Amino acid sequence: MEMELKEIRGTFKPELIPPECGGGIDDYEEALHVLMKFVGSMANALEQVSGRGANAIVYQAGKRMGHDAGKLMEKTDNLENAMQELSQILGKEFYFEMWKPSSQESFTIERSGETEVKLLFRDCVVRQTLRRTGLPQKGPLCYLLYGYMVGAVEEVMDIKGKLDINHIGPNACLKTLTINWGGK
Amino acid sequence: MVKIKIDEDACVGCGSCVEDCPNDVYEMDEAKNKTRIIKEEDCMACLSCHEICPAQAMEHQDIHVAKRLYIDRKVNNTINKII
Repeated sequence: MEMELKEIRGTFKPELIPPECGGGIDDYEEALHVLMKFVGSMANALEQVSGRGANAIVYQAGKRMGHDAGKLMEKTDNLENAMQELSQILGKEFYFEMWKPSSQESFTIERSGETEVKLLFRDCVVRQTLRRTGLPQKGPLCYLLYGYMVGAVEEVMDIKGKLDINHIGPNACLKTLTINWGGK
Repeated sequence: MVKIKIDEDACVGCGSCVEDCPNDVYEMDEAKNKTRIIKEEDCMACLSCHEICPAQAMEHQDIHVAKRLYIDRKVNNTINKII
C-alpha cells in the first residue's frame, strides 16, 4: 500500500513558536483514532490485569485530575453555577445538561442532608473511544470521567460528592450526582 | 421536545425497548402485540431502544445527535455515496 506523506520543510528555532502546527483535518482524524485505540487497549488490559479494581484505580486518577482542574475555577455554593463551571472545565466534547423526569418539579432532590441532581451526558469522547475500539460502556474508562467530574465538583463547591451511573446509551448517558453538604 | 415514531408494520412486539428504556417511555400494547409510547416527554434520547430493536422500527425526531468522531470520514463519505 502506498502512503501519501506531505512533508513540512522549513527553518525552526527552538525559542520560536511555529506559525503552524502542521497537518490537516485528515492527520488530526488519524491521530485521534490512533489515540482512541491506544486508550481503549490500555483500559481493556487494565481490566484484565486488575479485575474490578481497575475501576477504582481509574476513578482515583480521574478524581485527582478533576481536583487539579477545579482549582482553576471560581468557588461557589450554587449548584447551577457549579454545573456551568464544570461544563467549561469539561469542554464541548463532554456536553452535558441537568435532566429531570416530567413528574419531578425541580432538577434537584433533597434527601437526608444530600442533594441529588441527574446529569445527561450527550457528547462524550469516552463513549466514542469505546465504540471505536468495540469495548462495552460502564468500564474503567467511564470511571475516569466520573472521577474527573466528582473531583472537579468537590473542588469547586468544597463538598463531598459521588456520581452513579443510571443508564448508558449510544447517544446519551444518565448519571446521578450526589452532593453531601457536610463538607470534605 | 423529542418526537418518537414507531413503525407498527416493522415492530415485532418483542418488548425489548420496553425492558431497556430507563424512563418507561414505552409499554406493550397486549391487544396488538406492539410497542406503544406512553411517556414521550420523559425520553432523553439515549437511543438504547434503537440499538436493541431488532426490526429498526424506531425513529426519534428533533434530538441532539451525539458527535460520532469515531467513524472515519472517508468511510462515511463512501457510504453516503452508495446509499
